Amino acid sequence: MEFHVAGVTVNPLFLVGIGFLVGILGGFFGVGGGFIAGPMMFWVGVPMHFVVGTDLAHMTGKSIVAAKRHRALGHVDIKLGLIMVLSTIAGVELGARIIEALKTTGNLDVVIGSVYVIILLIISGFTAWESLRALRMIRTDSLDIKDAVGFKGIAQRVHGIKLWPMISFPASGIASISLWIVLAVGFITGLLAGSLGVGGGFIRMPLLVYAVGIPTHVAVGTDLFEIMFSSGYGMLTHAIKGNVDVLMALVMHTGAAIGAQIGAVSTRFFIGPRIRLLFSILPLIGALLVLARLMNGAVTHF
Amino acid sequence: MTIELSLYAVLVVAYFLIVLRLLNGILTRLFQSDLVTYAILGLGLVVTQGVLLEWVTSFILNRLKVERVE
Repeated sequence: MEFHVAGVTVNPLFLVGIGFLVGILGGFFGVGGGFIAGPMMFWVGVPMHFVVGTDLAHMTGKSIVAAKRHRALGHVDIKLGLIMVLSTIAGVELGARIIEALKTTGNLDVVIGSVYVIILLIISGFTAWESLRALRMIRTDSLDIKDAVGFKGIAQRVHGIKLWPMISFPASGIASISLWIVLAVGFITGLLAGSLGVGGGFIRMPLLVYAVGIPTHVAVGTDLFEIMFSSGYGMLTHAIKGNVDVLMALVMHTGAAIGAQIGAVSTRFFIGPRIRLLFSILPLIGALLVLARLMNGAVTHF
Repeated sequence: MTIELSLYAVLVVAYFLIVLRLLNGILTRLFQSDLVTYAILGLGLVVTQGVLLEWVTSFILNRLKVERVE
């Protein structure tokens, strides 16, 4: 079927399949799944600027429902989420403007594709290494699995930065942290959302756990709360710039609605470091898909 | 279970017919003429579909007795 807005021909069932996969990821890992949906769309020939905008659009509807569910479970730190939203939106807007600038130079696919590959490989390697380290700690030191974070030292060092103003997040068990650290996390992930078309969860979640030092289950819920704003604002600004195929986003979302239900049920079987170890494989798959398209330039048709 | 799955299949087919056939032309014309309206309408459609599909899938999964996290 031809999607006239994006100017590509893609089987809608393939898009439903992508939605289904990222829906499972969203429910299971608490991430939007854009880091795997984006590479898959690029792989089948969707232009990169439409990948970015449409990916954000399809995540918007899904994230509202997911965030509401995690809020009901008490897994969202509203204060932390609302503060991060301010810098997240600034980051998203900057990212969208970078895309516009790259569109005019004609280097969009190569630049954004390469950034995708580098970031996904780093995230995959780091998360796998940390999770294995944390699992070893559990075995040797008998730590509570929910509290086992292989990089606890980083959070302690971050909390030691006394850059005024300091702020507390009782819901996340944080007595004092510099406001600038929180804003920086929001801005970085917003920038990634606006320029790569991802919700930013694949980097926000590790940052919230390792750098800010909040429990994994609160990081998952707060991350989804943030994705709601980053993808919603990102969709609007990208649509106004002509980077969103709404129809494609709607089709992808039909699969995501079912996948999210299955993913949410599955989370009970994996907690703490085991979630993060599984999570590490996904960015690697995304990186390989983008590399495949960049290396031979060929589009895989479905 | 057969009834619920059949209902879901009918809903999915109806949805595809409505969205793919009806909206395709409307959204394409709007994209070419007025991007701001296209963006606002797009956001509205995505959010509405998000809420409605959640309601329908939850209802059907509950009827199928598939347990949820809550």
